[in-house]
Amino acid sequence: MRILKLYLHPLWNARLLLIYSFLSGFAILILAPFLMISLRSVGKGWFGKLWFPPEFTLQWFQTAIDIGNIPQVLGNTALIAAIAVAISTTIGILSGWAFGRRRLPGKEVLMAIILLPRMIPPITYALGVAKIFYGLDLVNTYLGVGLAHVSLCAPYAILVLSSTFEGLDERVLEASAVCGANTLKSFFYVILPMVLPGILASMIFTFTTSYNEFTLTLMTYGPDTVTMAVRTYLAIGEGYVEITSAMSVILVVPSLVILAMIQSGIQPEKLVGGFKGV
Amino acid sequence: MLQTWRKYEHNATTWLLLLPAFASFFGLFAYPILVTLIQSFRPEGQADGFTFENYINFLSDPRGRDVIVLTFVLAIGTTFFSLLFSIPLALILRDKVRGHRFFRLLALIPLMVPGLIGALGLLLFFGSRGWFNLAAQALPFVTEPLTINYTLQGLMLFYVWLYFPYTALTTLSALEGLDRAVEEAGAVAGANPRQVLRYLIIPQIIPGVLAGSVLTFMTAFGAFSIPLITGGDYRPLSVQIYKEISSFIPAHWSAASAMAIVMGILQVAALTLYMRLLRQRQVR
Repeated sequence: MRILKLYLHPLWNARLLLIYSFLSGFAILILAPFLMISLRSVGKGWFGKLWFPPEFTLQWFQTAIDIGNIPQVLGNTALIAAIAVAISTTIGILSGWAFGRRRLPGKEVLMAIILLPRMIPPITYALGVAKIFYGLDLVNTYLGVGLAHVSLCAPYAILVLSSTFEGLDERVLEASAVCGANTLKSFFYVILPMVLPGILASMIFTFTTSYNEFTLTLMTYGPDTVTMAVRTYLAIGEGYVEITSAMSVILVVPSLVILAMIQSGIQPEKLVGGFKGV
Repeated sequence: MLQTWRKYEHNATTWLLLLPAFASFFGLFAYPILVTLIQSFRPEGQADGFTFENYINFLSDPRGRDVIVLTFVLAIGTTFFSLLFSIPLALILRDKVRGHRFFRLLALIPLMVPGLIGALGLLLFFGSRGWFNLAAQALPFVTEPLTINYTLQGLMLFYVWLYFPYTALTTLSALEGLDRAVEEAGAVAGANPRQVLRYLIIPQIIPGVLAGSVLTFMTAFGAFSIPLITGGDYRPLSVQIYKEISSFIPAHWSAASAMAIVMGILQVAALTLYMRLLRQRQVR
């Protein structure tokens, strides 16, 4: 026992070292895959047991843009995301107001029902969505793919916005009424500035959801509505690792921008509420 | 009279506000599931008729049962290993060590980045020419590249990589919600750090941690992109459903629908069970 303690003592003294080796292992595990992708996308002649590519080139990006039709795909992705964000934010504002500010019988149950699409794996209802959209000729249209994304985005918008509206201080609204603002005025000058951060947050999160959404897109896309996620998946199937890596780098940039944005403004823990679309 | 009318009007507006939400819920979720349910009872390739064949075929086939078992193994394993990894990570990051902001940001990355890219990067990193194997081969006793991609262990590792943030972030926020005075009181009363951890910290954070692990379980159960790309021959339910649609012409809609219904039921059942266990713990 004494001997064990003698051995353990230096270990306890070196706990900072242990902590940092754990943390650096964690950092390597998270970052190295992305580093490898980005090196792949600019490396040339990287074969065998080499740690780094011997030559650098931008030709894979060129190929990806030419053959992979990236500009159009990016346009598709943005348009579909815009449709999904617009529809789900509208739904979120209306229903968020009802959930946050109105007396509603069985509020918890209603909210749980609304959040169901985020708890069930998307593939289970993506089949039905695809089947219905085939019947309505919505497959391979921007509206169709955007609508399919709404099924995942809307619950999140409602969740975020109802808590935003719930946090509105009743006294400020009363104060604006006392000061003689009519409904329209108090909406534009009092309510809107107060809820704008919440609306923006909800828009950012729904955009990310739509941008990353793969399952529902895969079931409803067509040749004219290929999104970045689907394009990358197809490229992985085609098997040209370098070109796929170049596409992935393009695809990952907006996510990192958004990550930087929320890091400066929004607490990371809040993100957990928005179960990522798988 | 006027009062009742006002109240009624007020209620009507509330429901009107909720209308779009319910329209999207029914149109894009409930009705599709109903369509899937109906389809799952249709004989394959026919527009009408009623049969239990799709369910019987799937559930009586040993491969079908393997698929279900694999899905559960992956989901439960991911939850377990995420917990194992997240608790030390959160304990370290709580102490605001140097650079803790950077490491917190790192924990968010798998949540924000498309799963496809994470999968591709992991395949490259753990591949036979990836950095992991280059580093492993620098060790004296490793001569052959280690095979990680397309194995069950590898798939589990990738799942944990992608889904641990849910557990880690909730554990972290549970830990930060703790009152440090309790631990100090424990230390003053003569408890060593290990005892403080075992008897003061862990019991307090367990409800929050397990609630966070529900999210990991849920997403891992429905995971699609990671096993589709990195699974190889290991196909959980979601991938199997997609394969029924994509790799047959004409697509096996009825078989896929039956599997989707089974998957939905299993997910709801597992979640209900998990929640019930959680609640029992909390009551005790």
